[in-house]
Amino acid sequence: MFDKQGRACYNGGMIDEQRLKILTESAKYDVSCSSSGSARRNEGGIGNGYSSGCCHSFTPDGRCISLLKILLSNDCIFNCKYCMSRQDADVPRVSATPDEVCELVIDFYKRNYIEGLFLSSAVHVSPNHTMEQLYLTVKKLRTEYNFHGYIHVKGIPHADEEIVRKTALFADRMSFNLELPTEKSLRLLAPQKSRESLLLPMADLRREKLIFQAEKRKGHFLPAGQTTQLIVGASPERDGTILRLSESLYRKNDLKRVYYSSYVPLVHNSLLPNVGGGALREHRLYQADWLLRFYGFNAEELLPADGDLSLEYDPKCAWALAHMELFPVEVNRAPLEALLRVPGIGARGAQRILDARRYTKLTFEDLKKMRIVLKRAKHFITAGGKFYGANAQRVAGLLAAQEQSEQATQLSLFDENALSALTGEL
Amino acid sequence: MIYFYDGSEEAFLTALLLSYHDPAPILTAGNRQLVLGQETVFVRADADMAKKARERLLTFDKDCMADLGLLLRSGDADKDEIALRYFRLLAEKKRPVRKMLSEDAAFAADTCIRRVTFEVHRFHGFVRFMQCASGTLYAPISPDNDICDLLLPHFRARLPQFPFVIHDVKRGKAAVYDGEHSFFAPLKEAEIVLSADESAWQALWKGYYENVNIPSRERLRQMRGYMPVRYWKFMPEKH
Repeated sequence: MFDKQGRACYNGGMIDEQRLKILTESAKYDVSCSSSGSARRNEGGIGNGYSSGCCHSFTPDGRCISLLKILLSNDCIFNCKYCMSRQDADVPRVSATPDEVCELVIDFYKRNYIEGLFLSSAVHVSPNHTMEQLYLTVKKLRTEYNFHGYIHVKGIPHADEEIVRKTALFADRMSFNLELPTEKSLRLLAPQKSRESLLLPMADLRREKLIFQAEKRKGHFLPAGQTTQLIVGASPERDGTILRLSESLYRKNDLKRVYYSSYVPLVHNSLLPNVGGGALREHRLYQADWLLRFYGFNAEELLPADGDLSLEYDPKCAWALAHMELFPVEVNRAPLEALLRVPGIGARGAQRILDARRYTKLTFEDLKKMRIVLKRAKHFITAGGKFYGANAQRVAGLLAAQEQSEQATQLSLFDENALSALTGEL
Repeated sequence: MIYFYDGSEEAFLTALLLSYHDPAPILTAGNRQLVLGQETVFVRADADMAKKARERLLTFDKDCMADLGLLLRSGDADKDEIALRYFRLLAEKKRPVRKMLSEDAAFAADTCIRRVTFEVHRFHGFVRFMQCASGTLYAPISPDNDICDLLLPHFRARLPQFPFVIHDVKRGKAAVYDGEHSFFAPLKEAEIVLSADESAWQALWKGYYENVNIPSRERLRQMRGYMPVRYWKFMPEKH
C-alpha cells in the first residue's frame, strides 16, 4: 500500500467533510477514547502500540483525542430512546466505505493526529450485517493497509459470536456498552437490547481470550481487553447500584474500564429527564471507580446499594470521615494500603513517602518539601508522632467548607484523573 | 566561585571535579551577570577528567548518566545548578540518591527530570507532521526542553517507511530520519513544498476536531491544563 517514497496509494477516495461530520457527531457521546494497554509491534507498514496510551489533542470540552472516533454508518434499525441516531429520528443517514475509513486512519495517523481508530456503528440492516462490516473494515486496515496502531471496535448486540471473535483477532480492545445499569431501564429505553445480548458476548470474549493465551496462539486477541459504558442520569438507578455493577464487571468479567457518561438530553421523550446528569455526579463516580481499581476499596465500604455518593466530599474523604477511629496514621510506619486511604494522598504521593522514608524519618517539613498536599491529609496523619490536624469533631466541617470554595475551579482539574487523562487512559 | 561551562556532558563532569572542594560553587552555561569581585573560572571539557568523574559516579549509581543527560536537556534556567547539587549529593552519599526525596537536591533533580520526560511524552502526541511533495513528513516544534533527539526513536519505530524531519525551530536543530538512518543536524530554516492534498487532509482534521467536541460541556481551563497554549502554534486544529 506504499510506494517507494513512503506515500500511500489507495483505491478508495478521501471521505467528504459532510459525511465525516455526521459520522463524528453521532459517535462523540461514547466517552472512551483511550489507547492504552497494547504493545503491538510494527511489522512493516505503519504504526505500533503505546502501552501507556497517548493523547494527541484536547477539545474545548476538556476531553482528550486519542483515537479517530467514528461510526461506519448512522442508519439504525434500533430505537433506543436516548440516541440521536435511533430509527425514529429525522436525521440524514450516511455511511462510509471500509476503504474511506482505512484511508482516513492512515493519513491522520502518519501526520500524528491520532493514535488509532475507534470504530462503531449504528445497527444497519441487521446486527450480523453490521458486525460483519466492522470486521471487514478492521481486517482490511490490518492486512491490506498494514496498520499496526491501536484499534477499538464496538461490539454489536445480537451479532453471532463467530463474527465477534473474528473481529477480536484484529482489534486491540472491544466494548459492548451496557448503557443502562439495570434490565428494567434497558427494556424501557433501549427495547431492542437486552442485558444478555451485552453480557454474554463479553463473557464469551473473555473465555476466548483465556483460551487464546493458554494455547499460546500466534497473533493477538484483544491485548487491551474490554471496556463498557454506562449512561448516568437517564434512568433512576442510585450510585450504589451502579458501583456494585462496576465492581462485579471488574472482578468477574475482568473489564479494563467502566466509563460513566453523564446523560446529555439530545432527545425529547416523556420517558427521559429533560435535564442532564450533573458533571459533579459523574466526577464522583469516576473518583469512586478509581478507589475500586487502584486503592483497594470495595463498593460495600463506600456506600449502601440504595445510596448515592456524597456530592459534598470526595468518596475517599467521605469514607475517612466515617472511620475517624482508624486515624491518624503515622507516615513513617503505615503500610502502603493505609497511606492510600488517607484523603489527599494519591498513589504517587504514597509512593514518594515509601521511597523517602527508607532514608530518613519524615517530618511535616519533609512532606511539604516533597509537595505532598497536606490541606486535607494533615487531619489524618502524624509525622514522627506530631499531629497538626484539627479536632476530630471539627474536621468534617472544615473539609466541607474547603471543598465548597474549591469546587467551582477544581471540577475542571481532577487531581487523580489529571495524569491518566494525559496518558490516554481516560 | 562561578564556573562557566559550555553545557556539554564532558564539560559538566570536568567542572564537577574541579569544583568538588569548593564549598559554594555556582555552575552556569548561560550569560550569568558577573558580580564584581566574584572569581570566575571558564571550564573547558577535559576528556580525562570527565572519564574519571564518570567512572567514579557510575560505581555509586549505574543509572546516573541517564539522569545527567535529561538534566542537561532541561530548559530550566537553573538546570546547571540543579544538576551540580544532585551529583555532589551522589558523590557525598556514595549510593543512588534518586529516591531520597526529602533531600532538596534530590527532589529538585527529580522534578526537573520529570518535566523533561513528561514533555517528551506530551510531544509523542503533540507533534504534527505535514507531508511534503517529496513524501517526507515535516514537523516544526518549539518545546520547553531540548528534546528533539529524544523524540526520534518513537517516530522511527512507528513510521519506518516514512522519511521525516522533526525541526526544533527554537533551538535551530533537527532530528532527521531518511528512511534508513537517523541523524541530528543544525537547521535554521527549512523550505517546504507541501504535497498537493496536504491542505485537504488538514481541513478534514480541523473539521473532525470541531465536530467531536461537545459544546454544552465546555471546560476550557481543563483543555488548557492538558494542552498548554504555548504548544498550539504548530497544531492545525488550533488555527
